[in-house]
Amino acid sequence: MIPSLALSFFAAAALLAGFGRRLRRTAVWLALAPSVAAAATLLAHAPRVLDGEPVRESISWVPSLGVSLEFSLDGAALAMGLVVSLVGAAILAYTVWYQRDPIPLLGRLNLFAGAMFGLTVSDNLFGLFVFWELTTIVSYSLIAYDDRSPDARKAGVHALFVTALGGLVMLVGFVVLGTEAGTYRISEIAAAPPSGPAVTAALALVLAGVLTKSAQVPFHGWLPAAMAAPTPASAFLHAATMVKAGVFLAIRLAPVAMGNDVWQGVLLTAGIATMAVGGWAALRERDLKRILAYGTVAQLGLLTVLAASEATVAASVALLLAHAGFKAALFMVVGSIDKATGTRDIRELGGLRRTLPGTWVVAVAAAASMAGIPLTLGFVAKEAALDALLAASPAIAAAVAAGAVLTVAYTTRILGVFWGPERTAPSSSPAPGMTAAAALLAAAGVAFGIAPGPVEALSGSAARAAGAAAVALPAWPGPKPALWLSLGSLAAGWLAALLPIGPRRGTAAASAAFDATVDGVLGFARRATAVLQNGSLPVYLAVILATVVAVPGAALVTAAASPAGLVPAESWLQAAVGAAAAAAAVGLLALRNRLGAILLLGVVGYGMAGLFALQGAPDLALTQVLVETVTLVVFALVLGRLPERFDRPARPAVGAPIRVALALAVGVFVTGAMLSAAAGRADAPVSEAYLERSLDEGYGRNVVNVILTDFRALDTFGEIAVVATAAIGVAGLAAGIRGRSER
Amino acid sequence: MSVAALLPIAVPLVAAGLSMALLGRLRAQRAIGIAASAATLTAAVWLLIGVHHGGPVTVVVGAWEAPIGISLVADRLSAVLLVVAEVMLAGVLAFAMGRRGDERSMRFFHPVYHVLAAGVAISFLTGDLFTLFVGFEVMLMASYVLLTHRADAARVRSTITYVVVGLVASVFFLVAIALTYAATGTVDLAELASRLDTVPSSVRSLLALTTLVVFGIKAAVFPLFFWLPDSYPAAPAPVTAIFAGLLTKVGVYAILRTRTLLFAEDGPSELLLVVAGATMVAGVLGAIAQDDIKRILSFHIVSQIGYMIMGIALFTAASLAATVFYVVHHIAVKTSLFLIGGLIEDVEGTGSLRRIGGLARSRPLLAALFLPAALSLAGLPPFSGFVAKLALVEAGVSAGSWAIVGVSVTVSLLTLVSMTKIWNGAFLGEPEGPPAVAERRKLPVLSTAAAAAVVAVGLAVAAVAGPLLDYAGDTAAGLGAAVVEEAP
Repeated sequence: MIPSLALSFFAAAALLAGFGRRLRRTAVWLALAPSVAAAATLLAHAPRVLDGEPVRESISWVPSLGVSLEFSLDGAALAMGLVVSLVGAAILAYTVWYQRDPIPLLGRLNLFAGAMFGLTVSDNLFGLFVFWELTTIVSYSLIAYDDRSPDARKAGVHALFVTALGGLVMLVGFVVLGTEAGTYRISEIAAAPPSGPAVTAALALVLAGVLTKSAQVPFHGWLPAAMAAPTPASAFLHAATMVKAGVFLAIRLAPVAMGNDVWQGVLLTAGIATMAVGGWAALRERDLKRILAYGTVAQLGLLTVLAASEATVAASVALLLAHAGFKAALFMVVGSIDKATGTRDIRELGGLRRTLPGTWVVAVAAAASMAGIPLTLGFVAKEAALDALLAASPAIAAAVAAGAVLTVAYTTRILGVFWGPERTAPSSSPAPGMTAAAALLAAAGVAFGIAPGPVEALSGSAARAAGAAAVALPAWPGPKPALWLSLGSLAAGWLAALLPIGPRRGTAAASAAFDATVDGVLGFARRATAVLQNGSLPVYLAVILATVVAVPGAALVTAAASPAGLVPAESWLQAAVGAAAAAAAVGLLALRNRLGAILLLGVVGYGMAGLFALQGAPDLALTQVLVETVTLVVFALVLGRLPERFDRPARPAVGAPIRVALALAVGVFVTGAMLSAAAGRADAPVSEAYLERSLDEGYGRNVVNVILTDFRALDTFGEIAVVATAAIGVAGLAAGIRGRSER
Repeated sequence: MSVAALLPIAVPLVAAGLSMALLGRLRAQRAIGIAASAATLTAAVWLLIGVHHGGPVTVVVGAWEAPIGISLVADRLSAVLLVVAEVMLAGVLAFAMGRRGDERSMRFFHPVYHVLAAGVAISFLTGDLFTLFVGFEVMLMASYVLLTHRADAARVRSTITYVVVGLVASVFFLVAIALTYAATGTVDLAELASRLDTVPSSVRSLLALTTLVVFGIKAAVFPLFFWLPDSYPAAPAPVTAIFAGLLTKVGVYAILRTRTLLFAEDGPSELLLVVAGATMVAGVLGAIAQDDIKRILSFHIVSQIGYMIMGIALFTAASLAATVFYVVHHIAVKTSLFLIGGLIEDVEGTGSLRRIGGLARSRPLLAALFLPAALSLAGLPPFSGFVAKLALVEAGVSAGSWAIVGVSVTVSLLTLVSMTKIWNGAFLGEPEGPPAVAERRKLPVLSTAAAAAVVAVGLAVAAVAGPLLDYAGDTAAGLGAAVVEEAP
């Protein structure tokens, strides 16, 4: 049941991508069907889930790594799942009228909804990660939806890199956490939470995912930049659902994490800082969408604070639901204004109360919930939060109230576009469907503010699933300290809106920091690659030789035992031949004349043949002489087409002292290695068997021949293939040269 | 069963000979290619099934029992790598056949390509150190020829680095064989495994490190990787694709084989861990500094090799299994990415990210092929690269090697960065300048189908990741003893 719901979103997305344009009107129904089906299914299961009986299912994928798609529909999943399906349905409906060519966007939004739904109901850390990263990728594709715009592409990359970084670090945390718990199933970890320093380390790593995904300071910069996305996508991903994934995960992991000081400390610090930074930045913005974005940052900070403590988990779920409703509605309002007037700048907008009355009503209702005015869900949730915080930690309560002041102030700024003198006149009025979709969400905020019963049940169930207590959510709390704090911040916020807080100049610090990081990494990569990959073959060879000397050479130093029975030479003749070959090799280096060099090379080769012959191996010597002769002849033929002398490079890539040192070192290494390897032999070599069996079984007196053609014929077969291929290569090179000269 | 182990070597060599004899008759060459691919692939699959159910298969070539003669040994590791390699060889051959024009160069392509296939098979199947050298030589000579065939001056110049480094590596491989023979008196791997026990440990580590350097050059690990990014991007698309998929992986295979069979006593290696991390970082830094699709992808080969080395360095059952899985995943995904890169170059006339753009709109099919492969390479779920990297991370965490886990995760992110660079540059936006080709070229049907099939293989690796990783686990568990066991 649960997997098929997620799958239906993906199927709809695939169908829309493949056949969307041919389906025309049907496509719209296809786009809405999965959300409606998911919502209906969730509601049908709600009574059982609210009683504390989660629905569980699983599909095995890579069992040896603990990777399975395990699903659990508990209280928290139900709450988030309803947001995904119901708010999602409203946003999809809005998209149909908002977007000029809605089908591709509807497809991607469905893809996202499937991923988000899967994340919501995942009961396996890795399964959750799979959907988590999927939302990251779809988010990138939606931010860069207008792919011709460089800003949109850049914003997409910003969001992708920051959230992917957090995700990867989180994955390591998951591995550690699962290893400690002995299971990767979240419900099992919650049932028997592990503890210890390793768990603390795991949670610290998981925090990276939580903080980046939920746009907490200092990672928050990607969220305002993400406003390059089409407005429905901003409403869905960057307000209602995806950015809450971090908070959602924090609630999910509450049973194992809640008592952890590091976890709680980081969440509280980041959350409070985010409330302050987001709220203040919202006041300095003049673009409606960016005001809402920074408002979302601030609200996410508040949610993070609430998700950090057991007492406020229930309130955090209630506020999460409230925020999903009012923020999505306000994004739709901004989309309608933008579409009607062509601008989102509050300095260019005014008096819209008269020209866009429907939008105005919706905006006021949604904004009331955002500001926390009584008889809205926003008020109910915030009141419950303040009430719990005042009992637990007044300092945090004060910080939350201060955050509320900023919220009220920027909410007032937003609503300002409906009052005052008319500035930019709307060229059209929003389609009724757009206003209706937004109105549904705004109305829900008011309805649940008056009758919060269902939200109370849902948040209570989610809190119990997270091991925390449910709290009562009264529509009117009565005269309590929390109420005075709320009303006080309302008044202070209204006054704060009147303060002349000027617009920001230049780019936001978080954006600039991201750009600087990317440029820094890119610059470092370029410099490092210029050094490592400098294109000079002599340098490459020097590195290889140096590696040979350094790595096996180091082992040789310890292996170098003085081999017993080492004689300098067995006869004067042998010594003379060896000395001649060595002298020729050294002389070769000094020579600049090609013909002379080749002849000296021949001397080295014939010297080797002589050594073989003296050693009693005439067959080997014969082979060597043949090879040398053929090589000499070929060289001599080629020589006719080359200059007489070698060029001496003016500035060699590797200096002569290094070359000499490397050559000597490699020579010493190979010699020393041969000596110590031969000294280490304990068993009889296979060559004795060759000598023994060559004549009787191989029918040959020349053992080399028998080895080549019989004992090890496969090697010879392979080498014949090599020679034949080399011949083709020569023909091919020649064809290339001819081809060039023809041109 | 023994026939199945011989066919992957014999069939391509016979095909190469026939193809050479039928030079200039492209249709006949194509028919030979298709028949040979089908036959070798069937044999490889047959071998895999046989090894899976009946254990390692040993073939004594020429009836000279080892160590007098040469034995071919197919265990789980060689069988699975062989199957993947043959699938890629078949896919890339189809891709090459589908490309338009330049029929004159194709006639030499066919025979040499078969030689390459034979070299790969020899390397995977041999139970003899010297025959491994021969396998490498066969493979390398074929690769030299494929790189330089009808090449212009620039390509010949970039190939010189490849050839010279290859020759130097071969010389040191010979030195390593000579040292091994000097110390033990044999080059048969099974015999070596037992004889190395009696060799002084200092000499054994001398041998271990010398072979490591040799195979390290072949596998393109830090600091021995520079030959790769300089030479691969210059070659024609099918050549680069098959090199990228197979050649360095043969080096990785050789490291894995020698370390598990010959030098298993050495256990986990700090040196290799450092090499693994440095390889990952050096490769990915190179990749993000590039502006050309094939160059980015070439540097990524290096980076990904680091992950495979990481599993070998940790040397636990889980990490070795992860490496086996990683190699299988990487062969499929890397080949497919280069094929897609080749298609882009074919239709757009260039792979420079500055000169192309908006392909997601103009070529949605290419975008649909590229996206899963690129995400897989970056290790994102639900693709095979995610499973591969997760397996390594889990192995690293349980071994307590935090540094390499941290490096591998960071490099994953940077991999995503460079894949995004390709996506943003080639598939989104607009070209910065005028297009490289004036007319709109159609995608070659057969080549596109071949690329799609290879992408599908990559997706299939993810779909069967569970059983495949179990298989890799069994493979890793059997690595130490595989070659020693003689099949009936």
